[in-house]
Amino acid sequence: MKSVREFNPVDAMRETGLRLVIISYIAVAIFVVLAGRLWFLQIMNSGVFAERAEQNRTRILPIPARRGTIFDRNGTILVTSQPSYNIVLSRKDVSVKDFPAIAELLVNNVKIDRDWLNKRFEAAQWEPKYESIVVKELASAADVAWVKAHQYEYPMIRAEEAPRRKYLYGTLAAHAIGYVGEVDRRELSNPESSFSREKGFKLGDIIGKAGIERTYNEVLMGKDGERRVVVDSRGRIQREIERIEPIPGRDLYTTLDLNVQKVAEEQTDTMPAGRGSIVVSDPRNGEILAYVSHPAFDPNVFSLRAKTDEGKEEIQQLTEDPNKPLYNRPIQGMYPPGSTWKLLTTVAALNEGVITPENSRIQDGGIQLGNYFMRSISNYGMPDIVTAIAKSADGYYYRLGLKMGPEKFERWVEKFGFGKRTGIDLPREMVGSAPTRATKIREYDFYIKKAEKQLAEATDKTLRAQLEFRIKQLQHEAEWTAYDMAASAFGQGRNATTPVQLLRYVGGLAVGGQMHTPHLFLRAEPGVDRLGNSHPEMRYEDKNTFVVPMNADIHDIVKKGMWQAVNAGGTAGAAAVEGFDVCAKTGTAQVVSTEKANKATQDHAWLMSFAPRDNPEMAMVILTENAGFGGKQSAPRAKPIYEEYYRRTRKITDPVVADAATEPADKAKKAETPTTVEKTQKTEKKRVSAQ
Amino acid sequence: MFGVSRRYLTDFDWPLLAMALLVAAFGVLEISSAEPFPGLWRRQLVGIGIGLGVLFFVTLVDYRRIVNIAPYLYVVGIVLLALVLTPLGREVNGNKSWLYFGSFGFQPSEFAKLFTLLFLAYFLSGVKRYPLDLWTTIVAGGIWAVPTALVFAQNDTGSALSFTSFLAATLFLSGLRWSWLAAALVAVCIAVVVAVPYIKTCKSYKCERIKAVYWPDLAEKRFRYQNEQSEIAVGSGGLLGKGIRGSTQGTLGFVPEVQNDFIYAVASEETGFVGSFAALTVYLLIVTRLIQIARRARERVGLLLVAGFASLLLYHVTVNIGMVLRMLPIMGIPLPLMSSGSTSVVATLFGLGLAISVRLRRFVN
Repeated sequence: MKSVREFNPVDAMRETGLRLVIISYIAVAIFVVLAGRLWFLQIMNSGVFAERAEQNRTRILPIPARRGTIFDRNGTILVTSQPSYNIVLSRKDVSVKDFPAIAELLVNNVKIDRDWLNKRFEAAQWEPKYESIVVKELASAADVAWVKAHQYEYPMIRAEEAPRRKYLYGTLAAHAIGYVGEVDRRELSNPESSFSREKGFKLGDIIGKAGIERTYNEVLMGKDGERRVVVDSRGRIQREIERIEPIPGRDLYTTLDLNVQKVAEEQTDTMPAGRGSIVVSDPRNGEILAYVSHPAFDPNVFSLRAKTDEGKEEIQQLTEDPNKPLYNRPIQGMYPPGSTWKLLTTVAALNEGVITPENSRIQDGGIQLGNYFMRSISNYGMPDIVTAIAKSADGYYYRLGLKMGPEKFERWVEKFGFGKRTGIDLPREMVGSAPTRATKIREYDFYIKKAEKQLAEATDKTLRAQLEFRIKQLQHEAEWTAYDMAASAFGQGRNATTPVQLLRYVGGLAVGGQMHTPHLFLRAEPGVDRLGNSHPEMRYEDKNTFVVPMNADIHDIVKKGMWQAVNAGGTAGAAAVEGFDVCAKTGTAQVVSTEKANKATQDHAWLMSFAPRDNPEMAMVILTENAGFGGKQSAPRAKPIYEEYYRRTRKITDPVVADAATEPADKAKKAETPTTVEKTQKTEKKRVSAQ
Repeated sequence: MFGVSRRYLTDFDWPLLAMALLVAAFGVLEISSAEPFPGLWRRQLVGIGIGLGVLFFVTLVDYRRIVNIAPYLYVVGIVLLALVLTPLGREVNGNKSWLYFGSFGFQPSEFAKLFTLLFLAYFLSGVKRYPLDLWTTIVAGGIWAVPTALVFAQNDTGSALSFTSFLAATLFLSGLRWSWLAAALVAVCIAVVVAVPYIKTCKSYKCERIKAVYWPDLAEKRFRYQNEQSEIAVGSGGLLGKGIRGSTQGTLGFVPEVQNDFIYAVASEETGFVGSFAALTVYLLIVTRLIQIARRARERVGLLLVAGFASLLLYHVTVNIGMVLRMLPIMGIPLPLMSSGSTSVVATLFGLGLAISVRLRRFVN
């Protein structure tokens, strides 16, 4: 190394001094950089970081508001919310391999079944991590106390306040009341839905899922409160800074009458196929007194047990049951109205002058329509209109329909509001279909369009010819025929109505034309909604009420015919209640099936009725599915319901009647009702033979 | 040699000791404020007490005597470092850098640093060549490499890199050629440029820690967390801070290792810009004071010793505070004198004692 100079201490020291200065400059430079960074963080941006520190340490925990109580019209509690706690396991700081230890801990200290919990944890492995696991619902006070006492040792286990919806009468009026559940992710993210984020809903909110719980969710939901708490980095609550108490939702009174509802439920319990509906209203205002869809489900399954395994199993069973307990028959079931439709034809014919009250005799019995003979079960010769109603003379109505023609007929189908929703205050009501030419054309149009599309694509000559012929044939078939007219006039054909549509219809017939929208909402107490706005007392407002023109003469004929059907040897004799002047019309909704003999495919039995004849207070529609004839199957079920109402409102304490009435349902119903049905069938036979 | 003369008292570097004790007191205050374990500050006081004892002992001894046994100390340091890798060593926070004898545990790397520095100073001061020849440089590199490799093996990257700080300083002051220095800097720059794409895609925790600072979007969230919380702690302190015991970031557990590597974060949160800037200034004053002592040293060995210690201290302060301020990746490096931990405090005061000892003997009398 030649470049290495001879060591000279003085030179070396001089240069070393220079190099030391360089090191101190480096130190100063570093100092300046660090100080600059401090300035940037603490002076220029301290606001941002102060806010983030605040967010770090405080949490806003919602305190769910109690949902409003639901009452019947007389103030009996049907649905209530009870304070309750869930024990939940936060997944945030827990990994799957900790599960056995935690399971051990929970089984020993909080009463939980070990096998159940293991299953729960197994399932939880596949669930998203941000969702905490509910390990116990409806925890006891002791469980909650244990969890709170061990908050520091096991911060991942928490007790969460969760007011629980309790449906006190279980399956009773389940389809009218509905149930609650957690808001859906899809509903939240869809701005169009009534439960979107934009409207202020958030994950975990308990909302109405069906029935009036859903329709009146805004009334029932209260304003959630909140707790601002200081937490540490593991989310353990250190102390509370502020607490805003929740404001409970508004109490809601339904139009339901628990007494009527209970009797109606007993009547559906004995329906032979195990399926049917009963809806009862006050025809003067459309208030629904009873609403039964049978079979029913227990809403508590959804509100109390939806997250547990047994609850999930129960829900699974409900969806798989062939009798479809979740199906809301009164608003979703669409059945041909059968002979109940004859009153519409009657009112139409009288209004249009096709017949007059004085001159209304028309031939009954089967009729030859071209090359098709349309049979009639009845033949009463030349009955007048009242008898035709009372005896349900099919042949009479074939001819009346043909005489009237489709224009006049359809005008009245529309005036009665068929082919449209009633606007009942329940979600997911079905429309049904009206027996009009338009309906028929629409039905055939589908096939015509399909054939036309095939034709446009077809190249083969024979196929084209075939398709052209088929289109012509379909166009021909779509025309309104005499058969269509005759069938539509007595309630078959392209005609499908829901029980609630018929209820409004019979109510209108009862009061002489005023059609009230059937509804379940009576009133809501004044209070605060979920956004904190105050509301005065709310009452139901019928915005869709309308009038079907019907003069007193016509009204009289309707009432007389329906009265005779019950009280003078007509088809609905089994519905008679002494002193209450029940008026009714039976109907048979034909079930189109190749297996007519099979019990499951028997016709549906209708009974629509009202009482009393003058100044009616009650209207009722009963549908017994796959049971056969309305007079036999549905009429006897109306009687106990009228009786109950009649006795209670007239304060009759006749010992015999009172005995049958005050007897609670469960004892009497299973044993006695079939015999009642038999009995009434016998008396009916007697009456028929007497005539 | 143990004569406490008037000269000793007047020449003793009281301001340096005062500044060190000031910072240490600030540390004790903040440890008691953060208080992750009750009574930790008392243990820190004990550590400071022991450290002061060591400091005064060292100042009373002529540092040349210590330098003379530097080769033995170096070997002792190597042995201790090697022992850490045996079952005697214990792992704390992912770094296997602790050695336990019964319940008494310490981090040999803290002392190994000083012993290595002593040995380097001993070796380089004996080389009568200027500028340095290649052979001497390679031997110095060898002295550096052994303990560095052992500390690397303990997975303690921060400490391993700290050896480089005084190696660079002592070589630089011993007359490293400018051209070699420039070449080394260029090599470092090239290495960085080459490493960047690799680090961006690499998933090891070391890479993640680097990404968490420079490319936060590429880093996993859990690695960003500590940096972010520390940054929030410092920033939320503002100008005047939240007051002693006013910390939320530290005391509620958002900032990790508050008593230790992140003590400066809590200090900044509680005392604000005023406090954190003051502490930083005192550290700068200590470092510049040490450099001043080095300049006035009577002989090369003293100069190299004190300047090397100054650079080690500067490295610790820079890396620790840089980490707290989210400018450097997280490495397990304590803040000298402030962080809780007796080994670090005692080692630092031992180093300061050496410096004071050099100053005391700056005059040939």
